[in-house]
Amino acid sequence: MELLGVLLALAGMDAAAGLALLPYVPRVAPGAMPGKVTATTFVLERPRCIFDPFANASDAVWLAVAFADASAAFKNPTSSAEVPPYEGLPTARAYMTLQMAAAAYGCSAPGAAVLRVGGDTACHGRAPCNGPLPSPGPYRVKFLLMGCGGPKAETKWSDPILLRRARSLSTIDPTPARRSSTAVVIAAILASLGAALAMAVLGAVGTQLCVPLCRRGLGAHLPYRTHHVPPALPHTLPPACVCGCTPRPPGPCPTK
Amino acid sequence: MCDMPWNKSGFFEGEVSLHEGLKMAKTDNGIRICQGLLILGNVVIGMCGIALTAECIFFVSDPHGLYPLLEATENNDIYAAAWIGIFVGFALLALSILGIVGVMKSSKTLLLVYIILMLITYAFEMASCITAATHRDFLTPNLFLKQMLERYMKSDTDNNNDKQMTEGVTKTWDNLMLQNQCCGVHGPLDWQEYTSAFRMTHNDADYPWPHNCCVMNTRSEPINLDGCKLGVPGFYNSNGCYDAISGPLNRQAWGVAWFGFAILCWTFCVLLGTMFYWSRIAY
Repeated sequence: MELLGVLLALAGMDAAAGLALLPYVPRVAPGAMPGKVTATTFVLERPRCIFDPFANASDAVWLAVAFADASAAFKNPTSSAEVPPYEGLPTARAYMTLQMAAAAYGCSAPGAAVLRVGGDTACHGRAPCNGPLPSPGPYRVKFLLMGCGGPKAETKWSDPILLRRARSLSTIDPTPARRSSTAVVIAAILASLGAALAMAVLGAVGTQLCVPLCRRGLGAHLPYRTHHVPPALPHTLPPACVCGCTPRPPGPCPTK
Repeated sequence: MCDMPWNKSGFFEGEVSLHEGLKMAKTDNGIRICQGLLILGNVVIGMCGIALTAECIFFVSDPHGLYPLLEATENNDIYAAAWIGIFVGFALLALSILGIVGVMKSSKTLLLVYIILMLITYAFEMASCITAATHRDFLTPNLFLKQMLERYMKSDTDNNNDKQMTEGVTKTWDNLMLQNQCCGVHGPLDWQEYTSAFRMTHNDADYPWPHNCCVMNTRSEPINLDGCKLGVPGFYNSNGCYDAISGPLNRQAWGVAWFGFAILCWTFCVLLGTMFYWSRIAY
């Protein structure tokens, strides 16, 4: 009896699930969008047409989000009332969100080609809540088509989606890699020019001060006269010469 | 006909003066050339002084509004170099006039004053050039990145000084991002890759990056906020602002450094010529 009961329960579960496993694998939206995976959100490609064979007008498609290591243990809820809420994510390690009418996933449905998970910061306790994800994950997601009697179809679980983790800004090192050679060249050339100028000035001023002291031997412009040494002869004009005669030193007239 | 007195006679005087006259004519030409060159050199120095003053006033007036960024790094020495350049330019102009007057009058005193004051001006301009050239190297992208992450929209400031710097940085970045259509230093992912003061007050889901990174309409609102948050091309600014920052700052640093260097090389030659001329002037 007990075995029969277990078998019946198992059969009942299967019948209640009536679950079609669709081959679609949810994935992060392709395309170059830097915001498709952030620290608390990620963006999925919206599947189109895949639920049409199974969906009625009143059916809803949910997104189940679970931690990657808890996705195997995830049990589909039997009715809309038993959907794990967003707030239960830390304990139940899974939740369901993004409830939308099945028509939104139809072949010719209008709307964006992407679904943003975690983009609603204003829902507080109101189910279903598409709140930001509290940790970087990794997470796995699957779509679940729920009718009045329970889940009717589901997709496969996605690959693990890892969210961004921000590095601390104290790891940024602002010091420059190396001194540029231009600065070194400018500094070196200017320093040498400055030193050359300083030496030139000292040399010029020194020569000017030195002239009266250094030219003692030549005897010109001496500032003193002694008794013994006759005053030196000043620089003179060339010896006097009268036109026609040879230059001769001064002296008494030659007796002619 | 006896020995001629050593004072000159008329004929003697004539022959001697011819020889001396030739010699004096040659040195006279040499002096004139020397004076002409020095005056020309000083005219060029004067004009370069005016140009240097004008250039440095332009830089100090900060037409791109980047000064608050440098003030917050506490490394605004390239502005100090520009300030020194203004005064050096005026000094060069005044000293060049003094030099021209000194050379024309061949006055040893004036030229000595000129040389000494020029040396002082030379030293200041050397300091300005070397400062501008070496401090340019500190303005790396990481410096601005770290500052932006630390200060942009920082809410808890320690003291008045901190508050002023934070407001300056925030306002400057907002202007930069709006006017140059750019985001962050390298791109919008700067806000995602690192923690920041902005992240403390703005949650990641609503503000993956600041809304100033979004493409704006004429009323300064994002044309598509959801597209901007996702990073859909056309709704957000994908390029970084580093070029808009480093371009003007590089021009300022190199403008002050290289122009000053050129002036100093020329002034070196003119000063050497002046010292040579000064040492040949008789009292």
